Amino acid sequence: MKLSRSDKGALVAFMLPAILMMLMFFVIPVIYVVAVSFMKWNGISAPAFNDIRNFALLFKDKAFTRSVINNVIWALVAGFIQVPLAMVMAILLSNKPKGWKFFRTVYFFPQVISGIALATLWRAIYSADNGLLNGLLRVIGLGDLARDWLGDIHTAFPSVLIYWVFYVGYYMVIMMADISTIDSSYYEAATIDGASRFQQAIYITIPLIKKTSLLTCVTLASVMGLRQFEQVYMLTNGQPANTTSTIVLYMYKKMQDANYGMASASAVILIIVGVAFIVTIRKIFEGREHD
Amino acid sequence: MTKEANMTHPAVKVLLGVLKWILIVFFAVYTLFPLIWLVISSLKTNFEFLAGSPFALPAVPQWQNYVNALAVAGLGRMLLNSVFVGVVATLFNVIVASMSAYCISRFRFAGREKIFVLFTAGILVPLNALMVPYFVIINRLGLYNTYGGMILLYCAIGIPISTFLIRGLMDSIPMEVEEAAYIDGCGFFGRFFHVILPLSRTGIVTAATFEFLTCWNEFVFANLIISSEKLRTIQVGIRYFTNQFSTDYVSMYAAIVISIIPSILGYIFFQEQIISGMTSGAVKG
Repeated sequence: MKLSRSDKGALVAFMLPAILMMLMFFVIPVIYVVAVSFMKWNGISAPAFNDIRNFALLFKDKAFTRSVINNVIWALVAGFIQVPLAMVMAILLSNKPKGWKFFRTVYFFPQVISGIALATLWRAIYSADNGLLNGLLRVIGLGDLARDWLGDIHTAFPSVLIYWVFYVGYYMVIMMADISTIDSSYYEAATIDGASRFQQAIYITIPLIKKTSLLTCVTLASVMGLRQFEQVYMLTNGQPANTTSTIVLYMYKKMQDANYGMASASAVILIIVGVAFIVTIRKIFEGREHD
Repeated sequence: MTKEANMTHPAVKVLLGVLKWILIVFFAVYTLFPLIWLVISSLKTNFEFLAGSPFALPAVPQWQNYVNALAVAGLGRMLLNSVFVGVVATLFNVIVASMSAYCISRFRFAGREKIFVLFTAGILVPLNALMVPYFVIINRLGLYNTYGGMILLYCAIGIPISTFLIRGLMDSIPMEVEEAAYIDGCGFFGRFFHVILPLSRTGIVTAATFEFLTCWNEFVFANLIISSEKLRTIQVGIRYFTNQFSTDYVSMYAAIVISIIPSILGYIFFQEQIISGMTSGAVKG
């Protein structure tokens, strides 16, 4: 569209609210969090430059290093177990078996339910006394395995980690949208050549979505794994003995203690780990291309 | 049919077919069963829930639990807060996003590319990491513990994704349509309001649905910037139920069911919008 002089003013006016919000809630906060990470600040008195002491303290704190490790495990499980499961389901449902729309709808439910409600539900499922999981184990004769899943130091983190691995709806739907754009002539040719559905998935579908939706999903899932907060906050609050803590939960607790310097420093670490994950995943997926 | 030409052994084929259905059913049961259990538990008495089998049905459905959740826990007020904040934030969000989407989609201007990069980065930033600055900014604006603070924050964090969703639809409107209006003497605003906006309806509905769902389910920031009981949204409320109802399990479950129902109903009603919002947002991010 051509712009007249008066239109230019209108354009600026139209862009301004969005730009202001982006500056205020994206650009400035990122700069801010980096700046505060080098300061000692309790939110009341004037912030004082603190060199890299916040970071040094962070890495001396076992609760923090454990949080980082937990988040890395979380991101890996999300990217390399949850997403492949989602891919399998996407391929299966893309063949449109009976009732596929119903299943797609159901798989997606957890995505529209809030993290808090889901975590509360799972707290009830894992509950030591009347939890669904223990009840199920007793019914099938494995009552000996029943335990306080979230209170036991050995099972707490796996329990927190595992329940959402089977909630594959979100990634499945993204990959299904991608699969639906694949030219059907590929499959027709393969069928004529006698390739089974299984072979078609391995040799046609997966290679074609690898660098598009599969890459997107692995990236998204890993980033989601890194920013975990509600789940652990509701399920265990990081306990027992910080074994279920995450970086964001750690940051939140530092904020509650009015230690904004260390809270910001852990946010910076989170952003760095996130960028490292995104870059590495991209490298892995693009590296294979040269085979 | 060329299926007979398959090189796979028939037995393997049957096995794969069975495996396929095991997987499909497993994932469905895994999602539905806990939700059904939650609903059934919410209709039991506490005695039935604590002493009975987790799989037993309630002798008499205890609708009273829902009354307790609504009356005792003040759930009604929280639902209204969530609806109010969600609706107002969504309204502002789609207005601001439509305006910026219009500029980005229809005009080439200096800085357009930079704005584009900024919006893309905005989708990828882990917002949870920005808790400290958000807390400080909302405080500085004097919006701590106000509806305004929540509305502004929710509106703002949804701008990049909404802009992308609406822009996608605007990009598909042929230039000729707008040029015809231009020749007829329609100005910048006239074209926006009378030509582009009505034609972008589906994109705007998608963005609005997505934004509202985000607001409805948001917990982290509501928990951060709201302290008063009167302003609590439903998600913040759920966290408090778990303390308040620490011994009254069944009412707590009723409260959770009440909080989930609008999400599920909204999802079933706006399924296509929500899915297309989430997938195109993801693919573009």
